[in-house]
Amino acid sequence: MEEKSKLTWRRTWQLTLRAWRIWWKRCPGYFAAVVLRDAIQALGPYVTIYLSARLINELAGSRDPQALLWWVGWQLGTLAFLTLAGGLCTRWVNYCEDTLYPLNRRIYMDKMLDMDYADLDRQAVYELYSKLMQSQNFIGLGVRGALERFSPLLQAVLQTLGGVALSISLFLLPVPTGSSLAFLNHWLAAPLTLLLLLLLTLSASASNSYSQSFFARYVEEGRAGNRYFGFYGYTCQERSRALDMRLYRQQEHVCSPYMNQDIDLGFGPRSKIARWARGPMGLSAALSQGLNVVLTGLIYGFVCLKAWGGAFGVGSVTQYVGAITKLFLGLSDVLSILSEIRINAAFLEDSFRFLDIPNAMYQGSLTTEKRSDRQYEVEFRDVSFRYPDTDQWALRHVNLRFRVGSRLAVVGQNGSGKTTFIKLLCRLYDPTEGEILLNGIDIRKYRYDDYIGIFSVVFQDFKLFSLPLGENIAGRKDYDRQQAESCLHQAGLQERLSSMPRGLDTFLYKDLDQSGVDVSGGEAQKLAIARALYKDAPFIILDEPTAALDPIAEADIYSRFNDIAGDRTAIYISHRLSSCKFCDEIAVFDQGHIVQRGSHEALLHDASGLYRQLWDAQAQYYVNRQTT
Amino acid sequence: MKQEKPKYNVFQNVAWMCGLAWKHRRRVLLFCALAALLEVLFNLVQLFLAPQILTLVEKGAALQTLLGTILLFTAALFTLRFAKGYLAEIDLSARIDVRTVIIGLLGNKCNTTSYPNTLKPDFIKLRDVAHTASEGNQEATELIWHTLTDLCKNVGGFAVYLTILSHLDPVLLLVTIATCLAGFWVSRRTSTWMYRHREEEETYYTRKRYVHRVAESVPVAKDIRIFGLQDWINDIYASVHDAYLAFRLRAEKVKLLAELTEAVLTMARNGIAYVYLIQLALHENLSVGEFLLYFTAISTFTQWVMGILQSTLKLHTESLDISRVREFLDYPEPFRFSGGAALPESRPYELKLENVSFRYDGAEADTIHHLNLTIHPGEKLAIVGLNGAGKTTLVKLLCGLLDPTEGRVLLNGIDVRLFNRQEYYELFSAVFQEFSILNVTIAENIAQCAQDIDDARVQACLDQAGLTQAVAQLPQGVKTYVGREVFLDGVLFSGGETQRLMLARALYKDSPILVLDEPTAALDPLAENDIYLKYNDMTRGKTALFISHRLASTRFCDRIILLSDGGIAEEGTHESLLADGGAYAQLFEVQSRYYREGKDF
Repeated sequence: MEEKSKLTWRRTWQLTLRAWRIWWKRCPGYFAAVVLRDAIQALGPYVTIYLSARLINELAGSRDPQALLWWVGWQLGTLAFLTLAGGLCTRWVNYCEDTLYPLNRRIYMDKMLDMDYADLDRQAVYELYSKLMQSQNFIGLGVRGALERFSPLLQAVLQTLGGVALSISLFLLPVPTGSSLAFLNHWLAAPLTLLLLLLLTLSASASNSYSQSFFARYVEEGRAGNRYFGFYGYTCQERSRALDMRLYRQQEHVCSPYMNQDIDLGFGPRSKIARWARGPMGLSAALSQGLNVVLTGLIYGFVCLKAWGGAFGVGSVTQYVGAITKLFLGLSDVLSILSEIRINAAFLEDSFRFLDIPNAMYQGSLTTEKRSDRQYEVEFRDVSFRYPDTDQWALRHVNLRFRVGSRLAVVGQNGSGKTTFIKLLCRLYDPTEGEILLNGIDIRKYRYDDYIGIFSVVFQDFKLFSLPLGENIAGRKDYDRQQAESCLHQAGLQERLSSMPRGLDTFLYKDLDQSGVDVSGGEAQKLAIARALYKDAPFIILDEPTAALDPIAEADIYSRFNDIAGDRTAIYISHRLSSCKFCDEIAVFDQGHIVQRGSHEALLHDASGLYRQLWDAQAQYYVNRQTT
Repeated sequence: MKQEKPKYNVFQNVAWMCGLAWKHRRRVLLFCALAALLEVLFNLVQLFLAPQILTLVEKGAALQTLLGTILLFTAALFTLRFAKGYLAEIDLSARIDVRTVIIGLLGNKCNTTSYPNTLKPDFIKLRDVAHTASEGNQEATELIWHTLTDLCKNVGGFAVYLTILSHLDPVLLLVTIATCLAGFWVSRRTSTWMYRHREEEETYYTRKRYVHRVAESVPVAKDIRIFGLQDWINDIYASVHDAYLAFRLRAEKVKLLAELTEAVLTMARNGIAYVYLIQLALHENLSVGEFLLYFTAISTFTQWVMGILQSTLKLHTESLDISRVREFLDYPEPFRFSGGAALPESRPYELKLENVSFRYDGAEADTIHHLNLTIHPGEKLAIVGLNGAGKTTLVKLLCGLLDPTEGRVLLNGIDVRLFNRQEYYELFSAVFQEFSILNVTIAENIAQCAQDIDDARVQACLDQAGLTQAVAQLPQGVKTYVGREVFLDGVLFSGGETQRLMLARALYKDSPILVLDEPTAALDPLAENDIYLKYNDMTRGKTALFISHRLASTRFCDRIILLSDGGIAEEGTHESLLADGGAYAQLFEVQSRYYREGKDF
């Protein structure tokens, strides 16, 4: 993106203003504080320049003690006042920044929480997201980058204006006629001088942005370098990796070589950016700084000539030199910040592309009616589905109808479409073809949150949070403690609960609380089930719930689950076919199709069927015993 | 923050860093010295610029002299500024290079340290501090060069200016230094306040990072949507943010106080300097140029003094972090990693646990309790038991990842502790439940090295692990990267595929002892059965340990041990254990009940 041709100024400002508006909405006080602080801080140097000049004029002139003290007093007093007021404002600005800066990440978090799952799960979206995060970390550009350039721009503009105000008289005061330098009074003298200074400033600024542009050009490599660093330098040291690290000597054989490779790729002395820094990038940055000094020299030349010619006193020399120098430095700041804003805008384009991803999923207005009899019937009618950006069917022509209160088992080999089936059922995705009906009506016609409200799911990769146990069960801060406890009981965690040091308020894991408790895989699974129960939805779905469990715990969950499911509709996905025996109906998936349906007994009778094959593969070792 | 005294002081840490730089990138040190020198010179030239020129104007010197002087100054300033600017651009990569060396040292320590260390809270804490101290340009291990440059610059400047100001009243200098010290004392209070509250501040960051991590994770997104967790997450974020803001407000108040004091002190300092210099001007006929020179010199002198104080303080803080880095690198190693007894030549090996007990740090009971076990050369042993029975711990003891609290682990009769542990690890190929698949190519993940990969062997191992087809579908085959953390076009393997990849890796390593801990948990029945059928092939000529919850798999083993309460409750073959009718038979009964009933019709 950023390697593309530069944005137009028009587009740059559209994007930047939009970013500023976001911040304005979140905290208008910040802008007030910044304007006030910058105005006060811009005033300070000019007060010093102006009043010191008066002091020096007095020293160079009559040296009246009274007048000298008067100017000193003024200067000290004003400066003290400005410092105090400025300090107060700075604290205010800082506090606002503390409020705002974290919100930068929050903007993205809100979007991630709000986005349609189907979009979120797309590789392209995830790549855009991680690119945004890396740009933010690598060069601090993006939505926050826009905010961070507001105050510097304002400061530079104010500095320029202040410089203009204090230096106008330089050009107006004439050298007394008759002086050998009277040519300085020519009407062209001032514009020519200014033009020369301006040219110098522009070239310093151009030289600087040329140098800066190398970093923007390096953004891809820089991000890659940081990813190497992050992974081989830090992620590799996660505790769960410790075993393999040792037995396979991963650090020595893999991580270190890759890390060394990174030194060349990323920022080390042999990297491209380091070579640039020794060459054009470094030289132009140095030149830019040098030119700024030449600017000072020129200003001295012009001002001193006029003073030498007798246009004004020595004190005014310091004033004019100070003021014009600050004027042009201010101007050069304005220029460089503008070019930064332009570079930043390219990153803003990415940010907004992400933030503007629409919630495209159609939502109807029907409510699902909280039916006390839980009379729901779901039907898949000729449903086919392809994941976005792929051309393989994950599900093909699936027809299935199941009634409330029944137990459905979904079996099949890895990758046969079982989990996809669940994702469609819960409307995390919409079918590519065909439709899913709830009580005879296309599920897209229901309100989304209403529809999703009738499902509880324990996904294979479910996640418990490092937060209090009770909140985990309820999924919110304020919850019904009694109900949470009863769900834990039902899930078979009664004993575990009573062993928790702070009951429902005990933190899970130690990420956020040192006194948190670690739970085993089996316990986590039961906790996830308790959470599903707390939601009390008419459909409860378990995706491969027992993979981590020992035989006793597994049997415990099976027998218990049949009870807890009660009058709910339960759907199991499992590789352990023994669990299917609880179910009224079994659907066998193979390569996106439902190839068999029926009861366990019926399916087992079909000797050529896939179900029989799967069953035998597993059962042979258990039933052989009968024959031996 | 209460913590024990750092092990190394500022001088030791500066020496250590300089030593590292000297060894790896000498120019880092050269650049520091050069930058400080340029800075002082630039300052000096600038100091004389205005007074010198003003004097010429005031005296009405010849035009050529005036312009010539300006030109000379400009040329000098240009040269110095140019050199300074160039230096600032080129020193970055060398500094990063030295920091990378440190990151490498930390990575090595963390990933090769004796495994029990990785379980110790104080080790983990040190590691986290060391990580923080090395993870960015603004952290101690890189920032120190900046601080050292500053310190040199300020000390140099201080010395030079002291000479310039030497014929002014020494009282003036003392007053200046005194106000600086007072100002520094106040600002130091602020920074110690911040330092003392560092942990508090860090907890807010930790919490926020955590909320972001879960809220922005794709796998968690499903749970968030199904259970409507958005409000909960927002509530948690809001409460952390509010607490953080309250903290920042307190911090801003402390800083405000320091800032106000600083303003008052500056005013006092300037006032005294002005009054003193005006006295000189009035009574001793100080010229305007001199007046300006001295006033600027006093202000700048103040900056040097403040600079020295501040960079010393910064150096002190950075030294604390660097000391942590070194303490982490020095963390004692209970295992032997050099020298040691030679590994016995005879394959296959016999492993023996002799009255072994093991207790995790801080645990109340032994995980393994007085356990005796001999694994005969070439034996295939299955280890079964309930969750928490100590199966994985037992395997870790055998692999030399843990050392027994009591008793001995013997390889062909020699205590494992006598071997070089890294060499001992060469004897094992393992698939654990906790694993580390790296963000490198499939081939590299299997061969576990970046060079000299035996392609044919990789292919054979893929075949055996049943992953050939999945890999063949990838456009770049075995050259495809796994995972997307580093290489964005990597492949994301499912749980089942990951397990097969780990199996292929274990096979490639082809060590005399094969350890498989639940290697088929994520596989479907056909795939699982496929692995079982190949099991004999895979383990031919090797000693093999197999942990599984699926008792079906154990019948491929010569012997089964059932762990319970840290000891061997039962052992024997599948048939003998069933005949005994003990705990194993019960477990088998529970698991096979449903399958057997299926056979009834």
